[in-house]
Amino acid sequence: MKMKMISGLMLGAGALAGLMGSAVRAEPIQATPGQEVNAVLLPKFLGILPFDQANRGAQEAAAELGSTGKLQYIGPTPENSAAGQIEMLTTATTQKQHVVMLSNNAGDQIAPAAEAAAAAGTKVVTWDSPIPSGKGESFFVAQVDFGSIGVVMADMVYDLTGGAGEFAVLSASPDASNQNAWIEAMKTTLATHAKYKDLKLDDVVYGNDQSEESYNKALGLVDKYPNLKVIMAPTTVGIVAASKAMQDENLCDKVKVSGLGLPAEMVSYTLNGCAPEFALWSFVDLGYLTYYASYMLATGAIKGEVGEQIHAGRMGDYTIEADPGREGARRILMGPFTVYNKDNVEAAAK
Amino acid sequence: MMPKALKSWEGGLLAIFLLTLAFNAANAPEFLTLQNQINLFQLSIEKIIVALAMTLIIVNAEVDLSVASIMGLSAAVFAYAVNQGVPGGLALLICLGVGTLAGLINAVLIARVGIPSLVVTLAMMIGFRGFARVLVKDTSLGNFPVWFTDLGQKGFMLGIPLSLWLFLGLLIVLGVLLHRTGFGRQVVVIGTNAEVARFSGLNVARVKTTLFVMSALTATVAGLFYAARLGSVRGDSALGFELDIITMVLMGGVSIFGGRGTMPGVVLSILIILNLRNGMALMNITGHIQTGVIGVLLIASVLVPNIVSDLRARAARV
Repeated sequence: MKMKMISGLMLGAGALAGLMGSAVRAEPIQATPGQEVNAVLLPKFLGILPFDQANRGAQEAAAELGSTGKLQYIGPTPENSAAGQIEMLTTATTQKQHVVMLSNNAGDQIAPAAEAAAAAGTKVVTWDSPIPSGKGESFFVAQVDFGSIGVVMADMVYDLTGGAGEFAVLSASPDASNQNAWIEAMKTTLATHAKYKDLKLDDVVYGNDQSEESYNKALGLVDKYPNLKVIMAPTTVGIVAASKAMQDENLCDKVKVSGLGLPAEMVSYTLNGCAPEFALWSFVDLGYLTYYASYMLATGAIKGEVGEQIHAGRMGDYTIEADPGREGARRILMGPFTVYNKDNVEAAAK
Repeated sequence: MMPKALKSWEGGLLAIFLLTLAFNAANAPEFLTLQNQINLFQLSIEKIIVALAMTLIIVNAEVDLSVASIMGLSAAVFAYAVNQGVPGGLALLICLGVGTLAGLINAVLIARVGIPSLVVTLAMMIGFRGFARVLVKDTSLGNFPVWFTDLGQKGFMLGIPLSLWLFLGLLIVLGVLLHRTGFGRQVVVIGTNAEVARFSGLNVARVKTTLFVMSALTATVAGLFYAARLGSVRGDSALGFELDIITMVLMGGVSIFGGRGTMPGVVLSILIILNLRNGMALMNITGHIQTGVIGVLLIASVLVPNIVSDLRARAARV
């Protein structure tokens, strides 16, 4: 039952050091419960577990804060994700919702709609996946530091290949800015540390978070790269599809799957050795923290500026800081995340 | 008999449209605001522009499945050219050239070589899409000139975006063309029976060529508006739009077998679909259910006329 916790790593520590060094030690800002906040939680699309978990967390926070407004959980269909998100954000603006909490799947295509929302008084807070340019967005609630995800992805590949060999990335959609940032961070890690010099990234392919497409892309990778040792899928849909593909084709001895997955969906593949190691953070907590921060932004308790510190209920205190990955944008860093293997996956899956 | 059936079809659409309006207005307080009315068109503007040209194609007993791929291709060509340093104005001209060429390829294979449009445009749907994906690869391309994105995102005249003005203009032009000109009558006659039209001395190939080039050009312009509205382009931009577009046309009472259909019918169908979607969105109904409702509506729109004509035939026999 050993839980292997990896903390926010260097950047998190750096931010902490910066905070302690600052002259002003402000008290964290408290939310005033019982105010009317009409909010929309807008996931990339409906129908996959992590977003439902985030909704659970957001509903928990809304109940705790006793908002007299409504919290809607609405989203597009997977095949209409980008256009659907833009449409729903525009509609939320028309409805004069106080705040939209967006896990962005449309890249900068949604920036014009987000800017229009902000101009009309509907705040846009992103979580899980930000708007790359930061345009129209108040701040981003980051699950973990994107740079540290790159290190963890590289480390898992390192473990599974035994330190040397070829691997490939199976991502979600090419416009998912969280995915792109993690893959970039992983590439940077690989390039800058001598430890990883014998790892070779063959390819990055996209399964668009559709099970069948991801399944086929995983098999395509195996055909194309005969020396492939690991498929790294930093998406909960992709990692399951790739694991199933390897299991179905009896390839688990040759090609291991890793990445970001939900214990409940991964437990059988971890125990049978197809995906011995993967990582994730709590989406329930992410939804909870996002709602807390959004509620405080919508009620005017905070302005969304760098340096503001908030008290987010059971999760404690967080600070809005400059986002190191996106110039001019702001983030709240949640962290940490957990690496799962055969020792701890069963307990977490329950 | 036929004109009466048509009238009753459009009458039915009008009734559904008014019902939708009333329902939306009663249930969503924001529905009747001017901004919402503009948004409602703007969010689907590219599809409804292409639907106007598609109406003439289907009345002509043909179909153009390649429109969404041409939209994607034109957006991709523009994005690629601009990111290679080509000035925006020149990139627009290149797109129009590519669009015309795409239409000509379709037209030659259909009107001259004589391959069914279903087959030709299905092949081109795949081909043009592939070309778009090659240009954009697995990323998204943006960094468009500000004047270009402004055209897609900001009001042009009286607060109404340029694309909506274009839709209104094209609606009048194509409506007049179909219902009030010799060319329009030829489109209908060929759509009713191409063999008879040919023996009567109509230049069938010329009419079809005109229609397919027009369809491709409309799709090209729509693709550019799509790029301007979203500010960036992906290889899968506008993917699958052809089905939404054809749905709008068929629900408007245009016969998939050709020869029958009116522009007012298609406009009513467009208004119904857009208002339904918007109303459902304002009532916080999620994507899956929206798609389902539109699907049921289409099935009904195909079934009802068949059932009605069946009943009429039986009544006539008795």
